[in-house]
Amino acid sequence: MASTENISTARPMTTLRGLLSSQRNFRRLQQAIIFIVMAIGAVAMIAPFEWMLATSFSRSANIAMPRIPTFWPSDPSTFNYKVAITNLPLARYYLNSLVVTVASTLGYLFFSSLTGYAFAKGRFVGKSVLFIILLTTLMIPFEIRMIPMYLLMRQLHLNDTYAALILPFISGGFGTFLMRQYISAIPDELIDAARVDGASEFTIYARVILPLCGPALAALTVLSALWRWNDTLWPLLVISDRNLFTVTFGLAMASRSQGIFTGVALATSAIAILPIMILYLFLQRYIIRGIMLTGLKG
Amino acid sequence: MVRKLRKSLVWYAFVAPTFILYALFVAYPTFETFRLSLFQEVATRQQFVGSLHYIRLLGNQVFLAALLNTAFLGIIFLMIIVPFSLVMASLLNNLHVWPNLFKAIYFLPQITSTVAVALVFSYVFQPNWGLVNGLLRELGVDPLPLWLAEPRYVLTGSRATVTILAVWVALGYYMLIFQAGLQAVPSELYDAAVVDGAGPLQTWWLITIPSLRPTFIFLFITGTIDAMSRFSDLWMLGGPAGTPARSLQTIVMYVYQTAFESSDFNLASAAAVILFIVVLILTLFNFRSFLQREFSSQSGA
Repeated sequence: MASTENISTARPMTTLRGLLSSQRNFRRLQQAIIFIVMAIGAVAMIAPFEWMLATSFSRSANIAMPRIPTFWPSDPSTFNYKVAITNLPLARYYLNSLVVTVASTLGYLFFSSLTGYAFAKGRFVGKSVLFIILLTTLMIPFEIRMIPMYLLMRQLHLNDTYAALILPFISGGFGTFLMRQYISAIPDELIDAARVDGASEFTIYARVILPLCGPALAALTVLSALWRWNDTLWPLLVISDRNLFTVTFGLAMASRSQGIFTGVALATSAIAILPIMILYLFLQRYIIRGIMLTGLKG
Repeated sequence: MVRKLRKSLVWYAFVAPTFILYALFVAYPTFETFRLSLFQEVATRQQFVGSLHYIRLLGNQVFLAALLNTAFLGIIFLMIIVPFSLVMASLLNNLHVWPNLFKAIYFLPQITSTVAVALVFSYVFQPNWGLVNGLLRELGVDPLPLWLAEPRYVLTGSRATVTILAVWVALGYYMLIFQAGLQAVPSELYDAAVVDGAGPLQTWWLITIPSLRPTFIFLFITGTIDAMSRFSDLWMLGGPAGTPARSLQTIVMYVYQTAFESSDFNLASAAAVILFIVVLILTLFNFRSFLQREFSSQSGA
């Protein structure tokens, strides 16, 4: 409206101003449209989780689900959660997940960075050949190796142990590759200075290199933790002892064997999902930065 | 020479743990998969049978169906997710209000375990009282779609449902990778486009999309590998057989079923080798087309 008025007065300056203001209006409209599109998408992202929560707090969800989906329980009760906790040793599952995730991630960080340092700054015979061999890991998906890996674990009597869930994942081609790239960018002068002071290579690694690798280590932590926490296929092969189920795997096994009571199943899912989501709320900046740095997902 | 080797020793010690693990869990199992695929267990002894399992597999309807299904689901997924996430990432890149909040929300399904997400989706798409059909009923849709219970190739069937699930899960990740790509496009290119009088859509089509080629290639390579090794979500929704009517069975599920339910490790290994070859060919194909175009554009300039 304002711009047509300005044009009708036909003074060059006001026309220009009118044009500018209409451009600003255009930008505002553009922002509003983008915002609405993104908001619709965001609702689609959150709605299933919200519905899960609402239903998990509804006691009648086990008998008859409401035909009209509700996003707020009409009969709020924690009944489903009580049943979920008595049905499954969820605390034990959490402990297992924590042990497996922390141990394999610590190992992954340590060995990837140690080997990455050797490949970035070390001088030894066969370095480039060994590095290329290691890179082939990236071309060989886990699914292709899983049968012999399972047979090996069986031979070593490691099935149904924490070791089976941790050992194969405490180092890897990708982690080593990322650490090598990152450490290569660290100037040699820093290392040489420490060497002149008589520091051993391991001291240099621990005192000089590691403190400079924060972002790369953070990214690897995110990836390794997500991989281990969410893994199902490998536990499916090597774990049959219910006391060693992880949260993710325990949830899968429970719902595959007794997925009848909707409310209880959704309460179990909520218990498996929510702590991770809350953690994500606090760490999302680091997690997203880590994913962007490596290009890989969980 | 001895001195040199002695100085090398510490480096060998640094790489040793990784290589021991590599030998145990990568090199040995890969060779062993190939070896097992050429043998057959006869009275607890392994007997060489050559290509027998491969011939059996190539005449096996279940295996071929799983192979085709994996490829079909993967192609449909990539055809939807790549353009969709590109448009969403470009929009988000131009949004000045709460861009990081949206980024975090869209990434939410990605950090949630596949298993939990698949479980929630099995209820969301439950035909009688699920979230989606409940909303559709409110809108007066009749008859209501069967979603996961419908094995045919229809837009409301099981394959469509798991594709919606996969897109919903992966959208945030693909957007993130595209956003990283978008931020790497040199701003001089945009300045030049503005000087030439190009509109925003023209700029997007002629400058942004061609500049994102490395991102496209990266997403196609990783997306293909992920799609070919798809397992957890479909196993959760349809069991190892990909119920209903094997409409959700993938190669990895076939490998799993053959090895761990039928206890035929040899046949399963042959299926795994075929999966390996398919993944390798697709990766090299993607990579080559990338390198070739890179080369021709350089020699053209």
